[in-house]
Amino acid sequence: MDYKNTLTTCVYCGAGCQIYVETIDGQITGVWPAKTHIISEGKLCIKGWNVTEFVNSPDRLKTPLIRKEGQFVEASWDEALELIASKLGAIKNESGPDSIGWLASAKCTNEENYLMNKLARAVIGTNNIDHCARL
Amino acid sequence: MGVEFEPRIIAFMCNWCTYAAADTAGVSRMQQSLNVLPIRVMCSGRVSPEMVLRAFRAGADGVLVMGCHIGDCHYSNGNHRTIKRMPLLRNLLGYTGINPERLELQWVSGAEAPRFVEVTEAFIAKIRQLGPLSQEVME
Amino acid sequence: MSGNASEGTLEEIRKLVAERLALPVQAGMGVDGVVALRALNGNVAPHVFQKGDDLSELVIEPKYPLMTLVSKLHKRFPQIRLGVVARGCDERAYIEMAKRNQIDPARLTIIGFACTAEEAQACHCLEPYPKQLLVGAPPAPGQVNPLVAEYDAMTLVERRAFWRKQFEKCIKCYGCRNICPECFCEACAMEDKAWVEPGLLAPPFPMFHLIRAMHMASRCVACRECEAACPAHIPLTVLYDLLRRDMESLLGYLPGADMDAKPPLSVTLEETPLRTEAGH
Repeated sequence: MDYKNTLTTCVYCGAGCQIYVETIDGQITGVWPAKTHIISEGKLCIKGWNVTEFVNSPDRLKTPLIRKEGQFVEASWDEALELIASKLGAIKNESGPDSIGWLASAKCTNEENYLMNKLARAVIGTNNIDHCARL
Repeated sequence: MGVEFEPRIIAFMCNWCTYAAADTAGVSRMQQSLNVLPIRVMCSGRVSPEMVLRAFRAGADGVLVMGCHIGDCHYSNGNHRTIKRMPLLRNLLGYTGINPERLELQWVSGAEAPRFVEVTEAFIAKIRQLGPLSQEVME
Repeated sequence: MSGNASEGTLEEIRKLVAERLALPVQAGMGVDGVVALRALNGNVAPHVFQKGDDLSELVIEPKYPLMTLVSKLHKRFPQIRLGVVARGCDERAYIEMAKRNQIDPARLTIIGFACTAEEAQACHCLEPYPKQLLVGAPPAPGQVNPLVAEYDAMTLVERRAFWRKQFEKCIKCYGCRNICPECFCEACAMEDKAWVEPGLLAPPFPMFHLIRAMHMASRCVACRECEAACPAHIPLTVLYDLLRRDMESLLGYLPGADMDAKPPLSVTLEETPLRTEAGH
């Protein structure tokens, strides 16, 4: 039996509470708060306690999906990215860069949010970028 | 002074004893106040703390839990659980600052229609004196 | 919470764990693993030490409710034999869980150790050591929480004001329920929208907390993990301690004290009679 507690940071907000994700033989079996962490002190909010719920959720996408004739159809990454790039380019040309809004996320890393910024500001040319927590 | 306070009482009654007594009281046209809302359960042991608390949360000023006398339970010992559970719940209400008198446990058998009326009328009078629950749990 | 656990206590515990792990499982004395705390890179978490593991990583603080892990493993692996490094509260939790078929006593060996006097005081613990005590001497018990000791003198109005202020802080994280070793119900009343309204923090009539207190009446072993897990610092165990006191005076039952005592709220009056008539 392989029992492991992996120390990690909760993804749900900027507080950065430390949690242990418990795995038994590779399967996620629960969460323990990290009592030794000086910020979270062994306490978690409801999101932190349930942070592992999404990992094995059946709602998670496994491939990109493109809506064709009202239905979501599985697509390749190439097809999806091509479509996004051409559509965004078209919208930018037609209605200007500020017509495209960008929503970043606390679940992403700082680096991913930085890239989002670059895409919005440098590539498209808008500063209409905000954060999912402000929704 | 405004409108006089009319207590709203929820009474859980076991099907075999207390509800039968309540029925008899009604059929015999015994004089009764209108403050009691009956909820029939098969046994007083069915009444969980959650149900009693929900009754208070819903706005009951007083809650009565009534069933067969010990030894007479239709399911032989369902009411054993009631008699242990309700004193604890009363105490808990008291610990959180709600008057424990607002919850009462009474045994009323099927043949005791007059006692049913006596018990409920006395409870209504008591709650009228205590005042509305909202005084103690300001929303 | 920091105690002043002597190095000697820790060394003795590690030695006992090593001895237990060295015994052959087939002989009936050995174990597949020992549940204890492990320190890694300055952080501590529950762990299952198995043969060959580095026992210098085994520590005893800060405490976690290890019986929750024992129960999980016993249910997941019906043959597994475990040891556990246990404080007094761990053993009490085990007794209550074993009664409710969550832990199999035949497959658990307790390596008990005593808390320090400082730890006992921090937990207001009246029995800061397990009955199966192998390491350390029983310290002086902690003092009863003054709030509990003086509770009877508080008026209804004062009590109301006190809990109103406390429960207003509740963010409904369910941490108290999640960390509690006695909360193992798969269908939890606190998640039933008939009793606890979703989308609403603790209302002035605090359904969540009152229901939890009633459920804890015959189960709470005063391990204080719920209070440690509460981000709002609500003194939950004040309520639970008061109900424990009532359980003892009304029904002669103290959770965690006696493996053979049946939980009174589930059984008949013949098995656990009422000591005084219906409450005051």
